Amino acid sequence: MRAWFFVLLTACSALALAPAARGQALLFDYVGFDFESPNPSPGTFGEPGSGYQGVGNVPNLFAPLVFNTVLNEYTYYFSGLSPIGQTSVGPFVIIDYSAPGTLDLYEDSKSTGTPGTYGTNPPNGTAPPSFIDGTLILSGRLTNFRFVLNTSNGSGSFESEFEAIGGSQLSNIPLNQRTGWTFAGATGNATGIPLGYAHQIDGQTFLQEPSPARSSSWGRVKNLYR
Amino acid sequence: MRRLLLLLLCAAGLALGAGHASATSPMIDWDPALYFEPGSTPLNSPPGSQLRIVGLVSGFGPPLDFLDPTDPTKEYTLYCHSLISAGTTSIGPPATTFYTTNYVGGAIEIYEDLTPDASFDVNPPNPGVPADFTDGTLILSGVFMSFYTETNNFTQFQIGHSEGNILWTGGAYFPLMSPEGSNEPCPGLFTGALTWRSSVVQTGYLFRHDGKIDFNCPVSSRPSTWGRVKTLYR
Repeated sequence: MRAWFFVLLTACSALALAPAARGQALLFDYVGFDFESPNPSPGTFGEPGSGYQGVGNVPNLFAPLVFNTVLNEYTYYFSGLSPIGQTSVGPFVIIDYSAPGTLDLYEDSKSTGTPGTYGTNPPNGTAPPSFIDGTLILSGRLTNFRFVLNTSNGSGSFESEFEAIGGSQLSNIPLNQRTGWTFAGATGNATGIPLGYAHQIDGQTFLQEPSPARSSSWGRVKNLYR
Repeated sequence: MRRLLLLLLCAAGLALGAGHASATSPMIDWDPALYFEPGSTPLNSPPGSQLRIVGLVSGFGPPLDFLDPTDPTKEYTLYCHSLISAGTTSIGPPATTFYTTNYVGGAIEIYEDLTPDASFDVNPPNPGVPADFTDGTLILSGVFMSFYTETNNFTQFQIGHSEGNILWTGGAYFPLMSPEGSNEPCPGLFTGALTWRSSVVQTGYLFRHDGKIDFNCPVSSRPSTWGRVKTLYR
């Protein structure tokens, strides 16, 4: 009887913790440029053997990350992604990438650090180095990374599952909120794209929000099963 | 020989036109902008329906980098309207179908408001949307020369993108849209990713947009003469 009661209580707590639709909280917003290295076929994007990377700035961060954008520069670097499959649909190309990739955030003092500098034809002396100096505050693992590109207009987007796995601020994020997703727009039509970069990138990363739970008493819980 | 010369001239033109990137920061960045178009779904926009967009500006870059969107006494908003759908076309097999909607017309307005009040109230249009995004001083206005959205039925997080070209026409900072020494405003490139994932899109809106506008000036080139170009290849 006690065992059954325990099972019921466990089921009850699970139900109380399961919301109808889990919300998602914006963790950070990023803007920069992507490139391929290695890049065996410079005129083609997402070709076999290439490596997909990106660098840029993180102008907006949100709790539970702790930040000071007045004193510090925040930058990102994603890497570790290689195309494993490509599907063409008319002018569209769907490119799937190997897992895991990484998306890392760095904090660098504006007064004593080195500002992120793109340069040309990355990788180069400043990119990625000037985007990965300072303190690694968050490291994320990317899985199921997929890029969708319209080759007729040079624009597209990417998406990926994201899981926070490291960095000095990892402990700020509760264990049950470390998974989420990231997405970004990618355009080849901006005239400000530095030479050698493929697209301008503007993206956001969301984390699962905590599941709502109602406070209760043992008496109330027992009453549910009487 | 003539053909070779023509090829060389083309190459020279490309070389002269390939200047350094003018600006690597977006001129206007927002977080977020939300689209609404009553009667439409992410995969179908009936011809003739009007798309509108409201957004909160989160960052400014050159030539507007003197503005501070984090100043709590001010609010910078964007409002796009009069984008009329030309209908949605689709391409691809059932498992990987893409949906493209082109829009005709359209205008964009950027405001600076000294009484911050904008919020993405549900089920627009409503008393607050777009009204709370269109009060204050009009700092930039323009018209869309093109605009489209692209969505699909297979991405895990329901993502697509949209893009448009803007011709700036007015507003308090309109003079800044022309580069030094020019009377012609640089075009604006409105671009970014869309998602229609319900967990991040408020009720009654079509898309959440993470995007920006670039000060999309043509890259610099040096004036020259045919004689000078020819001497490069002698």
